[in-house]
Amino acid sequence: MHELLARTRTRLALAYRRPIALLVAVVAAAHALPASAIPVFNRQTGQNCQACHAGGQYPELTPYGRMFKLTGYTIGSRTSIPLAMMAVASVSSVRNTSKSDDPSADFSKNNNVVLASASVFAGGRITDNVGAFLQYTYDPYASQDASGKYHGHAAADNMDIRYADRLVGSSHDLVLGVSANNNPSVADPWNTVAAWMQYVPVPSPSSSQFIDGASPYPGYGTGGNTSGLTAYAFLDERLYLEAGAYRTTRGVLAFMKLGQPTSELTRLQGNAPYVRGALNFAWGASTLMIGGATMSSHVYDDPAVADPTTLHRFRDSSIDAQYQWLLDPHALTLQAVATRQQHRYPGFLAGQIPAFVDAHGNALSPSSQSDVLRLLRARASYTWRATYGGSASYFDLSGTANTLNQSSGYDPLSGTITTASSAAAPSTRVNGNLTGNPRTTGETLEAYWLPWQNLRIGAQYTFYQRFNGSARNYDGFGRNASDNDSLFVYAWFAY
Amino acid sequence: MKPLLSITALACAFLLAACADPSRSRALGDPKVPGQALAEQVCSNCHGQRGLSSSENFPHLAAQQADYIDAQLRSLRAKRRHDPAGAVYMWGIARDLTDAQIAQLAAYYAAQPAAAGRVEALQDPRVGKQLFTAGLAERGLPACASCHGDQGQGNGAIPRLAHQQRAYLLRQLAVLSMSPDERPLGAVMNAVAHQLHEDDIRALADYIATM
Repeated sequence: MHELLARTRTRLALAYRRPIALLVAVVAAAHALPASAIPVFNRQTGQNCQACHAGGQYPELTPYGRMFKLTGYTIGSRTSIPLAMMAVASVSSVRNTSKSDDPSADFSKNNNVVLASASVFAGGRITDNVGAFLQYTYDPYASQDASGKYHGHAAADNMDIRYADRLVGSSHDLVLGVSANNNPSVADPWNTVAAWMQYVPVPSPSSSQFIDGASPYPGYGTGGNTSGLTAYAFLDERLYLEAGAYRTTRGVLAFMKLGQPTSELTRLQGNAPYVRGALNFAWGASTLMIGGATMSSHVYDDPAVADPTTLHRFRDSSIDAQYQWLLDPHALTLQAVATRQQHRYPGFLAGQIPAFVDAHGNALSPSSQSDVLRLLRARASYTWRATYGGSASYFDLSGTANTLNQSSGYDPLSGTITTASSAAAPSTRVNGNLTGNPRTTGETLEAYWLPWQNLRIGAQYTFYQRFNGSARNYDGFGRNASDNDSLFVYAWFAY
Repeated sequence: MKPLLSITALACAFLLAACADPSRSRALGDPKVPGQALAEQVCSNCHGQRGLSSSENFPHLAAQQADYIDAQLRSLRAKRRHDPAGAVYMWGIARDLTDAQIAQLAAYYAAQPAAAGRVEALQDPRVGKQLFTAGLAERGLPACASCHGDQGQGNGAIPRLAHQQRAYLLRQLAVLSMSPDERPLGAVMNAVAHQLHEDDIRALADYIATM
């Protein structure tokens, strides 16, 4: 461990001298902005970020933040310009960039300070019962052309428009609402659901492909580019129920896919039902939530073609729990989620003989009819005085091996593992999978500093014990899981 | 036809929303919203329904003295009270309250039944009880009861203390002792709180929370 820390320190000292100077410049420039520079919900309520976000760290919600969301973002006074923005500048470094036959292409942004992403938010209170949270995000590294040049792209991100009412009686308190949104579970107020179990910021994986934001996270087979309507109820701040369905985005909700290229959309057959339940307990300075969710979806292989013979059938289920101990100036959170996804493949993908062969030139097993993926993700975080904090998390993705998932292997013509385009079965370097096994495990440690409520500076280090099924030589080109260990330093700013 | 139906449904939803009932509004800048609605729809998120907070980060308001609540809300609205918790959570809430809404909120909470139920003591109650009921003559500490009442029930602008959240009491006694300018209305407490040692504060908070 000491050796690792020493190595990290040395790399910081050498590789990041200039990038850190630039980040310091970003901080200094932001310091010059007025102290009232706060995003839209703050302007609406007049409250500090930490009223709604545990320890002031977005997006994790406090009990008050959860009620703000469930009551439709309607607390406060409507703002005249209901807009806010956030931007992330970051630098990341992969431990080993040598095991690639084209490092300049695979790690082109390594050790470079980049504008990692930027978002515009609109929303807040619209009427007494209607409010919105609309995010539109620019990814400077959304695509790469044949010459390796990156192209930026802006598109709809998480969106949630809801109607909510709260009925308070002599013995019961009931919040009722309906949400139109574009990401299953984005309407949920806890941060262990698929849409919110994340470290923020999450920059484009293209620029930082092995940082925590690119490691396995829960997600529904239906993807994030659909739209749906869910109804929810929260009784006595104890029992939460939400149910609804998602469909291919179109019609009046088409703005929820604004800017998304067709290739990035998820095209669903019919309605994909989503059900969520949770129990919430509060005592002392603690709250505990234990919940679960399930979703079933039929997804066309090609979003441009609604061909029923190409349907992927997903059944997702999860259990999650979140414990918070929030007593000023302390904010402690423990989170865990376990998910299971069953994926049945369409006929043209199941039972197929892979193009790769084994080391002796023999055919590999046919691809499976279905796969099961399991993900365990857990995280502990602590923030003091909404200023200094840190976290540790663990992730473990496992599941069935399937030759369909092999992206590296022996080429039947040359009998070697090669990336040559002339090969009958070219392999994928760096991100290749030689075994067809999805196993990826690791940990992330993070330390962060919030000099004031709309600026966060942090450093994360992500360690991998397994990647794409193996600890060693997972891509067939000698790359080990630990070669992907990544340092990520960022400055996150919101206005 | 389908988009037309969707647009119609959405328009109906917004019309429905426009007919909202002020008695269930969460608008903080609307003088038409009665204090009780604000208490039930907004304040309850931290202070609990009927002023019984489920988090020890936030004080119970049930049965609190109306004059005290009124004065504190005005002080928070004017940003004169600026202890960290008051600023973080309450400046925004109080920002646009009218005098009438403040008075309604104060009356609403004063009329709610006080917190009840057994709170587990963390230490021997004798030290806290002694400080509360008799003070400490050798340090010139008056009895808390002399102002806050025998039962800690408060009196006018002097707050009710009985059964208050322990962690909240600890934090506020620290503010009143160390940073009295953050709570100008509590300046009278500075001379007393400053004389309290850390052990005294813990003993007092524990006793008061279990009263």
